[in-house]
Amino acid sequence: MPSSNGKPEMTGGMASTGKLPSRKAAAIARGISYLALWLIMMPSARPTDLLVGAGAAIAATWLSLRTFPPATGCLHFVSMAALMPHFIWQSVRAGFDIARRVFDPRLPIQPGFVACPLGFPEGLARNTFATITSLIPGTVPCGEVDGVLTYHCLDLRNPVVQQLWAEERLMARALIAGRRHD
Amino acid sequence: MLLDLWTIVLVSMGVVFFLAGTVGLLRFPDALSRLHALTKADNLGLGLVVIGLLPRLTGIADGAKMIFVWLLVMLSGACLAQLVAHLIRQSGDFKP
Repeated sequence: MPSSNGKPEMTGGMASTGKLPSRKAAAIARGISYLALWLIMMPSARPTDLLVGAGAAIAATWLSLRTFPPATGCLHFVSMAALMPHFIWQSVRAGFDIARRVFDPRLPIQPGFVACPLGFPEGLARNTFATITSLIPGTVPCGEVDGVLTYHCLDLRNPVVQQLWAEERLMARALIAGRRHD
Repeated sequence: MLLDLWTIVLVSMGVVFFLAGTVGLLRFPDALSRLHALTKADNLGLGLVVIGLLPRLTGIADGAKMIFVWLLVMLSGACLAQLVAHLIRQSGDFKP
């Protein structure tokens, strides 16, 4: 679904037919979120602390609206939160994978690059995917070549691209309106 | 007693993963492979240390703060790893 500025957008599964939030709505939602994060980090009810927190939240909101305006797309946080256990589990697997390899005297790795063509449109959707897949075992995204995400893999003997496509299907169902491969 | 055991086991496991990250940094042959070791093993190490320390905390607020710090480290690690990987790849300097 193209957005008003012609860029492809990413919306949540449930919100895939909805509109992107207006700048004002985005500013309010982000400001409240940043203030909530501040309160987690600095749980204090003193007026001076709250004042500094409010200032920090306003500054963060202003910066986020400049660097990441609502028109570039949005994340569906409920769907994102539902996928959190999966991401954390992948992160655990990745840690064990590294430990297994580094403590093995034979150092069983075969590093190299793979190109992974994806259905996600360029921009926020693909960046989010790249960021999340940098947590899964054996892959680190290292930029795009001709619009195709390239990954550095620790072991080319593993079916890396199939694994990434499985992640893409999972995220496309729950989070992002991307095209499918099959 | 049981909580002490929980903390000792989980924090020790966390330390093992930090050690794995460091050993990977030394043993892996190129900069990009070392990135894998640093980001992935340390994420898990920090997570285990946080889970191990949770029963020691007095309030929910402290626990939420520690979990939030862990999530922030995971997020910043995931973002920075790909930026660093991109730069290393562009420079062509990824051989041992």
